[in-house]
Amino acid sequence: MTEPIIKVRGLHKYFGPLHVVRGVDLDVQLGEVVVVIGPSGGGKSTFLRCLNFLEEPSAGSIEIDGVEINAGEPSRQHRKHIREIRQKAGMVFQQLNLFPHMNALGNIIEAPMTVKGMSKEEATEKALELLDWVGLSEKKDEYPSRLSGGQQQRVAIARALCMEPKIMLFDEPTSALDPELIAEVVDVMERLAKEGMTMVVVTHELHFAQDVSDRVILMADGVWAEIAPPEEFFTNPKEERTRQFLAHIL
Amino acid sequence: MNSTGDSGAKSRPRIIRILLILIALTASLSILYALQYYAGSPVRLGVVSPVLDLATNPNTPIVAGGIEDGSIRLWDTTNNWELRAIDLHDGPISRVIFSPDGKTLISVGYDGAVKIQDVSSGQVIHDINASDLPINDASLSEDGSVLATIGDDGVVRVIDIASGQITRMIGPIDGAAKAVAVSSDGIQVATAIGTDIQIWDTRDGAELQKLTGSWEDEARQEDWLGHSGDVTALVFSPDDTLLVSGSDDTNVNFWDLETGEVKWTGENHFASITKLVFTPDGESVLSSSADYKSRIFRVPGGKSSDTFVGHLSAVNSIAPGVLPDTLITGGADGSIRQWDIANTTVSHIEWTKLGVQPGWGVLLSAWLLFSGVIGFVCLYGLSKRKGWSHLLSLGLFIIGPIIALGLPILEATSYTIAWTLRLVVMAPLLLLAAWYAMLIIILMRERVVAYYDAPDTLELSEQLSVNQRNATIRSSLFVGAVWIFMVVALYSVLRRFNLDIPFMQHFLPFIMGGAGLTLFVSALSIVGAVIFALLGALGRLSNNPVAKGVSGFYISIIRGTPLLVQVYIWYLALPRLDIILAAIPAGILALSVNYGAYMTEIFRAGIQAVGKGQHEAAHALGMSRGQTLRRIVLPQAFRIVIPPIGNEFIAMMKDSSLVSIMGVWELTFRAGKIGRQYFRNIETFLIAAAFYWILTVVFQYLQGNLEAYMARGERK
Repeated sequence: MTEPIIKVRGLHKYFGPLHVVRGVDLDVQLGEVVVVIGPSGGGKSTFLRCLNFLEEPSAGSIEIDGVEINAGEPSRQHRKHIREIRQKAGMVFQQLNLFPHMNALGNIIEAPMTVKGMSKEEATEKALELLDWVGLSEKKDEYPSRLSGGQQQRVAIARALCMEPKIMLFDEPTSALDPELIAEVVDVMERLAKEGMTMVVVTHELHFAQDVSDRVILMADGVWAEIAPPEEFFTNPKEERTRQFLAHIL
Repeated sequence: MNSTGDSGAKSRPRIIRILLILIALTASLSILYALQYYAGSPVRLGVVSPVLDLATNPNTPIVAGGIEDGSIRLWDTTNNWELRAIDLHDGPISRVIFSPDGKTLISVGYDGAVKIQDVSSGQVIHDINASDLPINDASLSEDGSVLATIGDDGVVRVIDIASGQITRMIGPIDGAAKAVAVSSDGIQVATAIGTDIQIWDTRDGAELQKLTGSWEDEARQEDWLGHSGDVTALVFSPDDTLLVSGSDDTNVNFWDLETGEVKWTGENHFASITKLVFTPDGESVLSSSADYKSRIFRVPGGKSSDTFVGHLSAVNSIAPGVLPDTLITGGADGSIRQWDIANTTVSHIEWTKLGVQPGWGVLLSAWLLFSGVIGFVCLYGLSKRKGWSHLLSLGLFIIGPIIALGLPILEATSYTIAWTLRLVVMAPLLLLAAWYAMLIIILMRERVVAYYDAPDTLELSEQLSVNQRNATIRSSLFVGAVWIFMVVALYSVLRRFNLDIPFMQHFLPFIMGGAGLTLFVSALSIVGAVIFALLGALGRLSNNPVAKGVSGFYISIIRGTPLLVQVYIWYLALPRLDIILAAIPAGILALSVNYGAYMTEIFRAGIQAVGKGQHEAAHALGMSRGQTLRRIVLPQAFRIVIPPIGNEFIAMMKDSSLVSIMGVWELTFRAGKIGRQYFRNIETFLIAAAFYWILTVVFQYLQGNLEAYMARGERK
């Protein structure tokens, strides 16, 4: 087995007295797709946001593509590492979070230009490729307010991909969308998975978990309740907690 | 049901037919009146006839007046001002002059004729058709033998009164038309040529002297002694040593004929000088002016002590009175006034005709012409059952009359005449107003409104939306009408402050010149304030204790002290630190710092209104805090704060008046300066207030558009 691209050890996160993530470990291999499901309030999103330090972990360590950060050591070095990790990990949000004052193309080329210092021509060329890839070439000049939720989320995926991340983090990417718009986003995610992107996906889309993922994790009460390949997870779960959860949603 | 086209004419309801007839009648009569008015015909609704010239008979108690309506009027002042009107000329009379013995009266007019008549019999002795063009001025020598005239043709004509012959013609002269004067001995004739004065010999037409003026400080070309505007009035002193001239530049110059230079200048009038007359003793000059006032200038020195205030518009003429220590003036307001010189009050008024001021007559006829033309457009639309024509007629007959009738009616209530006379003056206008009110009532009848709302050929949904829109427009028409009425009423109230209108007109451009500086100071200050506010807001939102503390202190101290006090402190304190700032930069600094503190809260709210998700998205892409702020947060925050900044800008334009204490020559400073200098503070500050208001209204309108524009972007 090769060295995992994501290595999480003993991750804890407190919000004041609230202990949301209670010491989890995880190794993700290059090209692997891991889906995290579970009841709300179980700490899924917090765990995911800890991976790129949108939430500062309270304890534990995270290593992504060789950059390791231990929790609770604020320093210049620490902030530099965080920015390195963020460049390696693209993120897609439930609330879409496109920049409303920029058009689709502008949203995508902003970070490559300001963070990586890419030239505008280069960034635009790359952005157009990505827009084509997510099927929105003709929408490149539209502002987010004139795009549907599904289109916005596809632009957001292209925006994250334009930074050439090693891994992609999806935080309930379809939860804010109308049911008929979910398919187009899931479709893009599936294609991304097939192209070999390492992905950690927090979602309620069980079909995606069943069809695309390599491993499914049930997270409840801040810990892993069960980790298993999808066929096993959905047909023959080992844990009582998993059976309860599946009974609820299936 | 066929509701449009020719066959629809028969199916029109009766009330619509009545409406069409009334509007056709209104429009035709309006145009007819306007046409005859502009053609110079005598039907002038309730408008007085301006008095163009006056003369007092040296031997009998008779005053003669040359009136714009073409009549010469003779008043017997001893016999309760009994009036005799003489109709000799075709067109306005520009000058009337009595012979020294008071037996003959010479009159000249716009018909180009010179008429010499016997006063007692009224018989015309000489009728001289001097010119095809109007004659504007005439002057008689002291012995009454030589008359000189000048008119639009630019020719000076010298006329021998005894024979009634033109003995000499000088010219045509380019630029001469307005003023002429003959010396007492009848040998010299002076005429105005633009800003200069040329004197000829009446006997041989030889050029004697040209008066142009000179620099008081020749080397530096400063302080011009002479006229800078067209000369409009001329008179020789009885001993022929002085020539006195009045001009459009508002000055009265006393020329020494020996040296050909200006001896004294009277700078007391605020508008064109219309007439100058020497008293027989040669010790004073009477002047009348378009600034509504008359004055007496003492001859040695050219100083003016007495002002005669009362005419409602330009004073066209002045003459010594029949009684001792009185003088008589005639004005464009249609009145002849006899003044008591000692206490400068009016002892008698005669009106040529009871009515409103001629200016209102001009306004009224302009309105009637306009409303007549638009009325026919409305009529066309109404007959075709067009929705727009109903709205247009409503607008025309509500808003127009408020200005064209409301202003003169309110004005007439301020005339110093009995109420019954006032009603007589206002009668034609009130009748017209009632007529328009009737039109409005008919137009607003439910059946009429329904008839002109959306035709039934449209879909129901379109009909409803068109009806809704029309109702909205109708209501805003009435709101607009109320606004305009309020402005008219405000104007009328202000008029009662006895405002010196010519003074205001004279200094309007000067005070208005400050509007540019007010805008400039406000614009730069708002830019400065935005910078301070941005820094303040970032400081407040920062986690850095120094930034937080400094911005908190800044906001607290600036918001805790009055702007006026701050302006004083900037003004007085900076020089002590040896920082000498010019008034304008210091003013801009004071305003920027003050408004920056207030706008900090706006910016803080704007920055906080940009969602947390935006920060997270930017951070997740690897952007640093600075990059996120600059590229993601501030651009969005700016969009949010632009409308409130517009509000602050409008407030700042008014608060910028406070920097006037630093000596910045903006609106308020200029108003205060002129107000103090001439003791007319109300007038000057009203002008300044009006400009602030105009600026504010304009910017509110622009800001409204900006907000609507930005809101549209949000919705889409």
